[in-house]
Amino acid sequence: MTEATIAVLHDVVATLVTWQLAAPAATLAAIGLPALLGRPLAERTTTRLVGAGFTAGFLAALLTLAALAARGFSAEVVHLGTLFSVGHHAATIELVADGLSVPYVCFSTGLCWLVNAFAGKYLHREPGFTRFFILLTLFGTGMNLMVLAGSIDVLFAGWEFLGISSTLLIGFFHERRNAVGAALRAFITYRLCDMGLLIAGVVVHHAVGSGDFERLFRGTWPDAVCLVDPTTALIVALLLVFAALGKSAQVPFSGWLPQAMEGPTPSSAIFYGALSIHAGAYVLLRCEAVLDAAPVAGWLLVAIGIGTALHAAVVGSVQTDLKSMLAYASMTQAGIILAEIGLGLRIVPLVHVVSHAILRSLQILRSPSALHDRHELAAALGGPPGAATFSILRLLPDRFGRCLYRIALERGFEDAAVQRFVIRPVLALLEGAQAAETRLVELAGGADAEPRRTDRDGGAT
Amino acid sequence: MHPDDDQLAQMIASAARLLPPQGPIDAFVAQNTLQGFEDLPFDEALVRAARLHGAQPFLPESFYRGELERGRIQASDLDAVLTADLGDRPGLALAGGRIRLRDLQRTLLIHGVRHESDAAVRWTLTENAVLDGDDAGSDLWHACVEASSRSRPSVVHVRPPLRHRDLILALDPTLDTDALVHPLLIRMTAAYLDQGVASWPMPDRQQGLLAAVAGLYSGRIGPLPPWCAGLPDRLHGIHSHGEPDREAYEVIRAELAALGVPATSWPEFIPLTLVALRGWAGMIRQFAERPDRAPVEAVPARLADFLALRLVLDRLAVEYAARCLNFRGPPTSDAAAAPLAAFCTELRDRHPPRRGAGSLARAFLLLQVARLTGLSAADIRALDDNELLELELSIAAFDSIARRRIFHLAYERRHGIGVLDGLAAQASLPARSPGGRPRVQAVFCIDDRCESFRRHLEEFAPDIDTFGTAGFFAVPMYYRGIDDWHAIPLCPLVVRPQHTVTEAPASESLASHRLRQAVRRSLGWFRGSMATGSRTLFRGGLLTSIGGAVAAVPLVARVAFPRITSLVTGGAAEYARSRVRTSLDLRRQGDALLPNGTQRGFDAAEMAAIVRRLLEDIGLMTSFARLVAVIGHGSTSLNNPHESAYDCGACGGGRGGPNARAFALMANDPDVRARLAAEGLVIPADTVFLGGMQDTCTSRVTWYDVDRLPGSHRGDFDTFRVDCETAGGLDAQERCRRFYSVPLDVSPAEALRRVQERAGDLAQVRPEYGHASTAVCIVGRRERTRGLFLDRRAFLVSYDPTTDGDLAILERTLAAVGPVSSGISLCYLFSRLDPLVYGAGTKLPHNITGLIGVMDGHASDLRTGLPLQGVEIHEPVRLLMVIDATTEAIRAVLERLPTVRTLVTNRWVRLAAWDPATGSLATYEPAPAGDRFVPYAPEQAVLPVAASSADWFRGHRGHLPLARIERGLQIERPVASEGHR
Repeated sequence: MTEATIAVLHDVVATLVTWQLAAPAATLAAIGLPALLGRPLAERTTTRLVGAGFTAGFLAALLTLAALAARGFSAEVVHLGTLFSVGHHAATIELVADGLSVPYVCFSTGLCWLVNAFAGKYLHREPGFTRFFILLTLFGTGMNLMVLAGSIDVLFAGWEFLGISSTLLIGFFHERRNAVGAALRAFITYRLCDMGLLIAGVVVHHAVGSGDFERLFRGTWPDAVCLVDPTTALIVALLLVFAALGKSAQVPFSGWLPQAMEGPTPSSAIFYGALSIHAGAYVLLRCEAVLDAAPVAGWLLVAIGIGTALHAAVVGSVQTDLKSMLAYASMTQAGIILAEIGLGLRIVPLVHVVSHAILRSLQILRSPSALHDRHELAAALGGPPGAATFSILRLLPDRFGRCLYRIALERGFEDAAVQRFVIRPVLALLEGAQAAETRLVELAGGADAEPRRTDRDGGAT
Repeated sequence: MHPDDDQLAQMIASAARLLPPQGPIDAFVAQNTLQGFEDLPFDEALVRAARLHGAQPFLPESFYRGELERGRIQASDLDAVLTADLGDRPGLALAGGRIRLRDLQRTLLIHGVRHESDAAVRWTLTENAVLDGDDAGSDLWHACVEASSRSRPSVVHVRPPLRHRDLILALDPTLDTDALVHPLLIRMTAAYLDQGVASWPMPDRQQGLLAAVAGLYSGRIGPLPPWCAGLPDRLHGIHSHGEPDREAYEVIRAELAALGVPATSWPEFIPLTLVALRGWAGMIRQFAERPDRAPVEAVPARLADFLALRLVLDRLAVEYAARCLNFRGPPTSDAAAAPLAAFCTELRDRHPPRRGAGSLARAFLLLQVARLTGLSAADIRALDDNELLELELSIAAFDSIARRRIFHLAYERRHGIGVLDGLAAQASLPARSPGGRPRVQAVFCIDDRCESFRRHLEEFAPDIDTFGTAGFFAVPMYYRGIDDWHAIPLCPLVVRPQHTVTEAPASESLASHRLRQAVRRSLGWFRGSMATGSRTLFRGGLLTSIGGAVAAVPLVARVAFPRITSLVTGGAAEYARSRVRTSLDLRRQGDALLPNGTQRGFDAAEMAAIVRRLLEDIGLMTSFARLVAVIGHGSTSLNNPHESAYDCGACGGGRGGPNARAFALMANDPDVRARLAAEGLVIPADTVFLGGMQDTCTSRVTWYDVDRLPGSHRGDFDTFRVDCETAGGLDAQERCRRFYSVPLDVSPAEALRRVQERAGDLAQVRPEYGHASTAVCIVGRRERTRGLFLDRRAFLVSYDPTTDGDLAILERTLAAVGPVSSGISLCYLFSRLDPLVYGAGTKLPHNITGLIGVMDGHASDLRTGLPLQGVEIHEPVRLLMVIDATTEAIRAVLERLPTVRTLVTNRWVRLAAWDPATGSLATYEPAPAGDRFVPYAPEQAVLPVAASSADWFRGHRGHLPLARIERGLQIERPVASEGHR
């Protein structure tokens, strides 16, 4: 291949990659701005625009894939601009198209397109119709930004889009208390774990003078080589694992996931059955070279993944509503996938992610048909399918079984533990601080400063 | 002295009646949501129930005001309702004879006044300076201010709420004890009632809810949330012994005492406690009362268990709240027995009082009333204290609920006038002259959705006569089709069938039957193990990582190409099904009872009785056509937990096809015909009965036992089948005008495609609108309503008063039709009046739980009633029942039917008599002096005329008035091309 061809290919890929981002972003503007001005578009126009945006993104990704295939899937870095640079330190906006990111964009944009087609009918005449599609395109844009990110800064930006759209869709029915509570719960978990990614960014900047992945590792995915020293690699890897725990609902940050099923069914399907739940896995796959250089983080990941899978499998087996049951089923697989990544596998978890996402989103989209499906199944099998759902847990000895059942019904005491070991101490600390402040103010001559009680930590949710 | 077990049982039983009557969702039967209030007059029941459930008794005032503006409610309606409502007080003079009460109320209704707070009025005055200056308006305002300042703003003494939760919430809005209790209680109850979602069922369910939970939660494992840390101690020692209820009663007594509820308040406190989570409590009650309707496993649920558990948790939460509010009990020894009694007393004392409106607010109200009623400043100043007080009280007494009640009655009145005017006009016009032997007679269900199908059939093929009767066709049976794994009851809820009928493959198609079974079984096994396996740890890991991508095919197909997908899958299934010829084992074989306590099949005498009964009911005793089609109905849709709500109510939420098929077989049976002939009911030898089923979602009709038709009738059937296909397209077109996502100018063929796509589309939350516009029930001869456009809003029950000398037929017809049709109408009415409390809310966050119901999201009360998407086009009016009989006959029959009479006298249905001879109408009016029929005087004597139904409905989305459709009255068959339009 000549220099000229390579240069042309580079330009083509650069344009296409920009398109993958620009298409959903443009849709976002096209439906968001009229809504902002108080004149939301008609339902049909909205869904058509969103559909067109995702189609354009999908086609651009397919073409990129073809262009990349012509070059043997070597990574193509697209430089979009520099935020600032000081000496040899720079914060750049970079995207990368390689054998991981581009197929993943095809997959995620395709799913977004399907969910858009589904939701256009599902949300017909719903007061929050436009809001849903704004959040869906925001999610699509964030997802592509995160997947195509060539630097940890861009990755973080995409990651945050995901978080905020997820939160707002959980709280979609904001007139209901439960929905808002569940959204808040997810949001707090996200913010806590986002710190991992943020600090990892700071560490990377500090270590290599930029957030670019090129300086962190080099080579074709999945065989890239880490370029930083093992200590830095370990710190970054641990921080990335921490970040992944929140979005992928791993123990001990998994309690928000079953509660997150408060939004409309299609958003539950794409977020918690398919894409958002695997965002953590994607970030770890993206930075797999760092994990390779830090085996301790890998083993930690395996332990957490297996722990989560066991926890979710047991807790899931006592759930009596379909969406909670599917949430725990997703959690089980997310745990296994993280464990696979921790074990050093690369292609297996990627296939697992895609495959699981497709199956689970179909199951969630279909969950309101459960009664219909069950009748058909009973007719086909000649009896209620209950007997088919044999669980090994039924074989446990009575006493032990009862204990485990209670633990499972209490969702592994996760909520109560968080309550006791996180919320209470934090509240106590805050109250202590407030009391100290009040005393100080009084000491300084402040008149009637009245302390307010805030001991409201009884809520289980 | 605490109530004993019997008294407690009594209290719980009467509380149970107030819970939603809905059973497990896989057999949804629409019933009156407020069944427990049926012994009260309708409007009083609405207000009482609203208070109990925290619901809205009527739609918001803005809705009615909008209807007033667009003329759906007219001023004359308000006048009529006010006159009737005020009875002998219409002229009651207020303000020293300057205004009459009726005029005041009328003014308040038509113009409306704004209720503002003191602060808002003051702000308006200072900011806008509107009332400055010295004009007449300002003078009036000053007069009003002077008047209102003559009395002090009132303090309204309210009775503090009974439940601790409400008392606590009033003091501290952030402290909701129900928000603590409910997630845990829901989890426990859902686990207990689960019918097979969880792969690991709750242990010890056979011992009852209380004992099962006690067994689980009395151990000390793991941390519990702070509020329920005392739970293990409380539950320890509770276990079931011989008399399960006794343990629960003990707990209830102990907890109520600990909560400090005086025994005199228990009868009121218990319903309030149960209603706080009414969906789940109601489901417990359903399992207790109708274990035979449990979808899979009838767990021994008892409401006493649920109440006991709930009270235990309530008490713990209240104790926690007392700690949060820094309450320390008084140091008396008495309080040690019931530490919360003192807390409760203190809560009641601290319950915030409610202040009446301030003087500026009252002045503003007075100003508006004065302007609207023409009172001048001098008039206001001339009022003495008593007159002023009376005026203000009259305004206050006509509050939002009172106004909405009048509005609602006026809203219903206008609907009634529209229908009755149409009927009266129709009766005065010439009916269709009988045209010899009809070509086909078709018997449908009374369902309002069949009205349009029948009308289109009659328009397209005027030589066809149609009839309506309860869709189980007088054949109550347990039925097991070749695809069913067990027999299900197909008859109204109140009937317990005595016979079981099985469908069996015919001997010549045994081979294809076995092949089909095998294919279905392996496909089912594959799907089932994918679904369950993907949720487990090991199998799930393998399945999702290797096989998951296979799901891309159904995912893309179902979402992107719903119509083609359902055509392909449905077509394949239908083809396979059509390869298997089946027959019904209808005839009694041997006298041994089946395990479910029923006979296998019917004997000839029973069959003859059934056939006779149905033919008598619909008044078809002579002049039989060559072909008599009996057509049941059902509905198929995907992604719809409420699917069975759209099936046949007369089949207990099942599908009426098998009943139709069984009836046709019975009526064709030579033995049966011989017996009937001996009794004087002669069915000509060339009359053949044929069964069918109409799918109300896809507008298609399928036929049974066509291959058994005699060759001589083949031609009749083929023509009739085409007629039904055409009628199906027109019916689909009429249904499509209601769907906002379908253009108004859709053709019948396109409409058929649309409705069929909706039935098979995963994303479609409105596969059909069901009974969503139902408003009328007409019991009478079809000749009288034929050619009348009833807009799919009427149940049509065939009844011929001329053949019913002793009123036995009317009696049995009303006994069945009255409760069923009023139940459907009231279920829709309440789901529309308050979609959040009585209805199931929007479908979008629904989450199927335990295969018994739906929750919103992950932990809410079970949502009962109908979803918002199913009632959004419903006009909430009570059913208007018009009976083709004399007023004397109706009175006589009502005397014999106490349940129906209660519904009528308490106005849960509106009733009118349509005189069979004169065609004059009389409405049933309740009056203090005694209910009576009042002759109805039509407002409009003219009935709009249209050539065909399509001409009348084309281009309209909303409800349409009655119209005379000329084509339905013709005798000659119209030219085919015209009908196919």
